[in-house]
Amino acid sequence: MNEFVERLVDLRWPDHVRPSYDVVIIGGGGHGLATAYYLATRHGITNVAVIEKGYIGSGNSGRNTTIIRANYGIPEAVRFYQHSLEMYGQLEQETGRDLMHATKGLLWIAHSEAGVRQERARAEINTAFGSRTEYVDVKTISEICPQLDMTGQGVWPIYGASYHPAGASARHDRVVWAYAEGAMRLGVHVHQRTTVTGFLRDGDRVTGVQTTAGPIGGGLVVSAVGGHVTTLASMVGLRLPIRTHQLQAFVTNRYAQAFGPIVASSGLGVYVSQTAKGEMLVGAEVDRAPAYAYDSGHSFLRSCAFRSIALLPFLRDLRVLRQWTGVCDMSTDYSPVMGFTGVPNLLVTTGWGTWGFKAIPAGGEQMAALIATGRTPPLIAPFALERFANDRTMADRGSAGTH
Amino acid sequence: MTVRRLRIQCPHCGVRAIEEFLHGEIPTIPERVVDPDARDLDRAFMHTNAEGLVTERWFHAMGCRRWLTLTRDTRTNDIPERTTSYPPS
Amino acid sequence: MRALERMLFTRVVATPAAIDRAVWPTGALVLRIAQDEVLAAGTVDLGAVPDQHAIVEPETAFCGAWVDHKSGIQFLEHACDWELPAERPAFAQGAVAGIPVKVWFEAERILFLVPVPFVIDFAERWS
Ligand SMILES: [Zn+2]
Repeated sequence: MNEFVERLVDLRWPDHVRPSYDVVIIGGGGHGLATAYYLATRHGITNVAVIEKGYIGSGNSGRNTTIIRANYGIPEAVRFYQHSLEMYGQLEQETGRDLMHATKGLLWIAHSEAGVRQERARAEINTAFGSRTEYVDVKTISEICPQLDMTGQGVWPIYGASYHPAGASARHDRVVWAYAEGAMRLGVHVHQRTTVTGFLRDGDRVTGVQTTAGPIGGGLVVSAVGGHVTTLASMVGLRLPIRTHQLQAFVTNRYAQAFGPIVASSGLGVYVSQTAKGEMLVGAEVDRAPAYAYDSGHSFLRSCAFRSIALLPFLRDLRVLRQWTGVCDMSTDYSPVMGFTGVPNLLVTTGWGTWGFKAIPAGGEQMAALIATGRTPPLIAPFALERFANDRTMADRGSAGTH
Repeated sequence: MTVRRLRIQCPHCGVRAIEEFLHGEIPTIPERVVDPDARDLDRAFMHTNAEGLVTERWFHAMGCRRWLTLTRDTRTNDIPERTTSYPPS
Repeated sequence: MRALERMLFTRVVATPAAIDRAVWPTGALVLRIAQDEVLAAGTVDLGAVPDQHAIVEPETAFCGAWVDHKSGIQFLEHACDWELPAERPAFAQGAVAGIPVKVWFEAERILFLVPVPFVIDFAERWS
């Protein structure tokens, strides 16, 4: 945490570790900190610790591509992400911090008749369940985004798109800091550079965590870990429907014109937006082989640049400024996993795949409500881990493949 | 940021970039899951998602079009070349 | 390069031992594309492969072009990131300019075999 950030937010770090807390949250990323924030602000539960092995936001909250949207493919997901999107809209006012939230609109492009059917279906289901998305034709697409090559370099012609006007983005680390600030102001302890190495047990029950700072008791323990949740769960014999995959992204140097919307293509497996600094941000699909490494590859740059140029030829004249890799916990049905685990006193919020950033407000709020009341709120009940044993999977691959 | 070129030694074609290959599955039902229903659930949905060495299948899509078996470290993507082999017949 | 032209091969899938012992037409181009698979130019008699379960089928999915040795090597040195074989004759296969290509090296000339769907892309990347 550098001086600039210290001035930007008022982070009140704890000077000691208590022997135990009512709630111990593992993982100081967006989801962990938002859960702590809503526990403190909505439920008055402040005897809470967030345990972070690096610094807050240093994991995958700091590596994502910050897109906020609610145009999912199943009703349960549309409702949940729409609620999160609306919460994001209020978050600057609520936290009093500039999160660089900007509504941009999102075009999801179809390159085939099958793609057109999918985007039409998306528009219908989104609108029916409270998140406006409309199907737009080629003429409207060029008006929304004149830079698009409608022929797709002759190989990926644009047939149509779904347009999600509420699609937005925000600055990822500011979101993390705002939640941390709000939680700590009310007395939540955030312990950085503290690694959880195991669980404290009493029979089946989880009673706390073993850490590099010693044992810490917890009335409830919540894993909000990105990337290592299956390893953590295996310490209590818990099996999760999660595989961890790398996702690579890059930004270019500044593009002189304003580039309005977020543009996504499942067919090409890329999505493109412009950052507040004017850089073009390009992300891809996850790599197929599960991995935890943060290494980046030249072949990714080559293939991703090739595909994004097919959509937006002006990218050809830009230069790659930096490239990075995050890891995504992909659930078997491409939907998140939130709530009870079957292991007494252990909760998880995971399976955030490539769609975790947009879910931070609602995920945190709903997990906090679950912790405070002991009951699963209806909004996230469909995303319980037990859905896999009950044949109630939330299959939504078509919405989750990229961004 | 580390930029590396990952390579796989195909026993038939030689050393090739990893982009010539497609990743197969990592079968991981733990021995201790013995109840038949639990095994079915595990086979359908759950993953060990190991952090460390995994034995897995890769398909040499741009070469001999055969499956091979190798060991990879998921923390680093390192592939010790000598572990590469065709699946046992 | 000259236009890639459709070539007739026979695809033979059999046990590695049977492929080792098979009798191929004299002077025919025989490419060992896997331990248990061969692409042989022209037609091959089923009886030539001593494996009762052998699959012997015509294969017309490749286009090929012969080029002189020097320009073939020049192209490959730019277009592949794998080591080219030193001996002659030799067979190699892998990504060439991002396309799955099979290459047959003779002392004086080199044959490039490209799957039909990639022919246009390959010709573009050659130039
Ligand atoms: Zn091979």
